[in-house]
Amino acid sequence: MMGSTSREVVRAVVAWLLVALFAFPIYYWITVAFKPERDIFALPPKLFDFNWNLSSFEEVFGISFGFDKGLEVLPGGGNFYMLPNLWASIVIAVLSTLLTVIVATLASYALSRMRIRGQHHFVFFVLSTRMMPPVAIAIPMFFIYKNFGLLDTYTGIILAHALMNLPLAVLLLKSFFDDIPTEIDEAALIDGASRVLIFRKIVMPMALGGVAATAVLCFVFSWTEFLFVLTLTQTSFKTVPVAASTFVTSTGTAWGNMAALGTAAMIPAFIFILLVQRNLVRGLTLGSLKQ
Amino acid sequence: MARTEAMTIRSGLQIAHAGDLTGRMAADVPPSMGGAARSTRRRKFLSDTPWPWLAPLITMLGVFALYPLFYNIWLSFQEFLPRRRSLEYVGFENWATMFADSRMWEALQVTLLYTGICLAIQIVLGMILALLLDSDAPGFGLLRGVLTLTLVVPPAITGMMFLLMEDPQFGLLPFVLKSLGIMDGSGAILSDPTLALWGVILADVWQWTPFMVLIFLAGLRALPKEPFESAMIDGANVFQTFTRLTLPMMWKVIAIAVLIRGIDLFRMFDYVYVMTSGGPGTATYTLSLYAWQQTFSFIKWGYGAALSLFTLFIIVVSANLFVWAAKLKW
Repeated sequence: MMGSTSREVVRAVVAWLLVALFAFPIYYWITVAFKPERDIFALPPKLFDFNWNLSSFEEVFGISFGFDKGLEVLPGGGNFYMLPNLWASIVIAVLSTLLTVIVATLASYALSRMRIRGQHHFVFFVLSTRMMPPVAIAIPMFFIYKNFGLLDTYTGIILAHALMNLPLAVLLLKSFFDDIPTEIDEAALIDGASRVLIFRKIVMPMALGGVAATAVLCFVFSWTEFLFVLTLTQTSFKTVPVAASTFVTSTGTAWGNMAALGTAAMIPAFIFILLVQRNLVRGLTLGSLKQ
Repeated sequence: MARTEAMTIRSGLQIAHAGDLTGRMAADVPPSMGGAARSTRRRKFLSDTPWPWLAPLITMLGVFALYPLFYNIWLSFQEFLPRRRSLEYVGFENWATMFADSRMWEALQVTLLYTGICLAIQIVLGMILALLLDSDAPGFGLLRGVLTLTLVVPPAITGMMFLLMEDPQFGLLPFVLKSLGIMDGSGAILSDPTLALWGVILADVWQWTPFMVLIFLAGLRALPKEPFESAMIDGANVFQTFTRLTLPMMWKVIAIAVLIRGIDLFRMFDYVYVMTSGGPGTATYTLSLYAWQQTFSFIKWGYGAALSLFTLFIIVVSANLFVWAAKLKW
């Protein structure tokens, strides 16, 4: 079977090349973050042999990495000082994930375990809310928020992101609960345990992996969300994707700073997604495909 | 298939683990039950009625999805009058304007074109990559991991990444294309009316083809092995095996990927907002961007509302039809 070995080699080479093609833009973006301005604009592009420095990161984080002087905090408030936006992104992603997961866990447990008239229709209603274009919610939400003083507040964005992630979380968690045999609940019910007790002591511990996977996906989607933050905030704060878009100015774009911020923003999301790789496909397909 | 075996073993373990837990419960329950009347009351309250469990979800969806939806419908029958600085009832005027608005039809065309092209490329490319990566040879796990990298980049940042790479003066892509002799002249991609949409499609294909790859890979790995073995014995070639066996057995997986990706493509906003703002001219206006700009850039609140509702209507109706026709279940 000489033919099959050489075919495997060709396959491996082609696979590596294609994946490298997909990884390349990220590599390039990271190099931009480390390049001095001159090298960003150099043609032919300097992919490996550029003079790297940390000034883009220093401006974005407001920290000086002077190697002889040690770490030094620069006075904040420069145009590219983005630490507050990173903080805002974290607060919003964490709190909206928390809210989503709590609401969705309760609901999907009921949808998975109890007899509900029109259960099928309700699930489809939830699925339909996943289909709605964000713009059709963001426009009315802007006016509603304005009336209720929620515009430009953390509460407003957290609620909007929670709403955005709820359909995903409910459908995904329902699929995880459906995997746990109902006989377990029934046995415990016969023994006299209450629903709450079963939920807390039996079903939840068994579904914990699924809950974690759901939380990670909600976090990532909130972290990367653009339209709601763009529409529902004005001056008080911005999350990273929207803040990065402010680097495009009439006098030119600060590519180095933008790439530094983008690089910093990718890292937490990527670490999280690797943690749930086993359940990733299930999450991306709203619980309909199991890995 | 080693993979399937591992899966059954795992779920077997899970059930054994579950039995173990029930055993512990049985020992656990009596003391907690012997407690106060409070727990009995709570039990009665929550035992078999699902509504307390569903109430937070229904409240959230009601307040943040249905209320804005109805508000939007109401808004589409109003218009903001800058002279009086107030909203006025205008009846069906916005809706009539919309169906007579050639820019709206252009935006719809661009949106459909964008959705169709991206879906086609992502399905074909995704399937090729998935077939390539469906191997247990060393290194392939790492490759699959690397591919997930693109999925977590915020789309707005992806847009800016490609904005830099497609820059006519110092962008990587025009430079490469010019050196290869494929492209000549100014190197304009995003400011060229015929190329601009392709420049945006490139960003989308880069970011979301791995989404297809991961889904297709999961589908491929769940396929039973026997039909493929007998096809090999019967002398079927690779192409025949793929079209007669793999594709038919994968159709549900493909349908789900098409549904989810199709929804997201049709409502796409981030890339065009960041990369082109709809330009040059109307070459890259999607419905979502057009609606958003009408409301927030041109202060036509009611008209933007009507446009966004039209977008919503098209997506929800066609996606539900698709779910029904493909017999997808949740």
